[in-house]
Amino acid sequence: MEITAKELLQITSGIGSMLIEYGAEIYRVEDSIYRIAAVYGFSGRNSGGEKKIEVFAIPASLIITVNDGNEAPLTQTVRISVRGTNLDRVDKLNNLSRYICVEKPDVETINRHIREIGERKVYGYPVRLMSYAVVGATFSLFFGGTPFDALFAGLISMAVFAVSIFVNKVKPSVFFQSVIGSVVIAAMAVLVSKAGLTDSFDKIIIGASMNLVPGVTLTNCMRDFIAGDFLAGMYTLTEAILVAVGMAVGAASSIALVSMI
Amino acid sequence: MDIVKDMLLPCIYSLIASIAFGVQFNIRFRHMLAAGIGAMLTQLIFTCFEVSGMGQMLCYFFAAAAVSVYSELMARRVHVPVNMYLVIGIIPLVPGGYMYNTMITLVGGDIESFSHQFAEAVGIAGSIAMGVFAVSAIVRLCRIITKQAI
Repeated sequence: MEITAKELLQITSGIGSMLIEYGAEIYRVEDSIYRIAAVYGFSGRNSGGEKKIEVFAIPASLIITVNDGNEAPLTQTVRISVRGTNLDRVDKLNNLSRYICVEKPDVETINRHIREIGERKVYGYPVRLMSYAVVGATFSLFFGGTPFDALFAGLISMAVFAVSIFVNKVKPSVFFQSVIGSVVIAAMAVLVSKAGLTDSFDKIIIGASMNLVPGVTLTNCMRDFIAGDFLAGMYTLTEAILVAVGMAVGAASSIALVSMI
Repeated sequence: MDIVKDMLLPCIYSLIASIAFGVQFNIRFRHMLAAGIGAMLTQLIFTCFEVSGMGQMLCYFFAAAAVSVYSELMARRVHVPVNMYLVIGIIPLVPGGYMYNTMITLVGGDIESFSHQFAEAVGIAGSIAMGVFAVSAIVRLCRIITKQAI
């Protein structure tokens, strides 16, 4: 099964940009694309052959150049502005590239698989709302809170989820997102303790804040550094630090202001 | 030390919390349980090291290394990206309390305790990163030697 440079470019940019958007590590993205291209006779980097492919990916963009040896090289750039976390789709895309490497299917089959993966179900709002509540409540207990703290941490986490849905509609930066989330958590926690419902607001804030911790970003950062993708690693590290600073700024200002009431 | 309060309950909490995190990361249910057990093991190993009197940073280092080994093995077994287990597994180690204290002491203007808490939080984060680093680097080396898919 032979495919043209144009078709290869279309497939690889589709798979690569989806992988980045759903929170895969950058070295996985580059590696998958090189492997897929190698199956169709396009070799990368150090190996010989007429047909060439080069990939450069960072969390913000993906650049692929395909050269089939006869015509001028083709390049496609994909700018990725919004990234989320959907590890289920990353897993399925990973399976797809493994399948391509073994079966060498035609372009229509691959495109159909890509579309199917893009349409895979995500958890609905009620389930995600519950997960926020459970994370907040259990971490409040985990860090030594009382059952009352846990109850309020759960309720506040739900409020954060509701607020984040509205805030995300305007597509703010990650810094702004974490500031908003943190402000909501701290303000509500201080109000709860002001009302005399709990003794202290520490454990409520810690528990509910765990929902905002950039876990996937940090893990990807570490794994990209190990793989030698320093640019991608620095990008995600900066993002993680910004989120942490945003959380601190939000909580600090909110505690200071609400305590004055 | 109280076995139920200090050992068992944190493990159960981390199991439940990590399963809930799995929902946020859109992991399918069958992977979620295995990932949650990974988080529980992390917490258990961390507590065991801590009880044995090991230094705090080393506890975090070895717990992170242990969860990395678990994730690599599980990921190899069921053919999923290592991330899926690793991201969930290290969640109980996140030093939420220290991060919060860092912020609170800074707001209070107590620079001495702030620098203490900040160093502690950064040290713990570094230890976790180093634990993951060490195992991943070894695994990578092994795979390069055996020329397997990464």
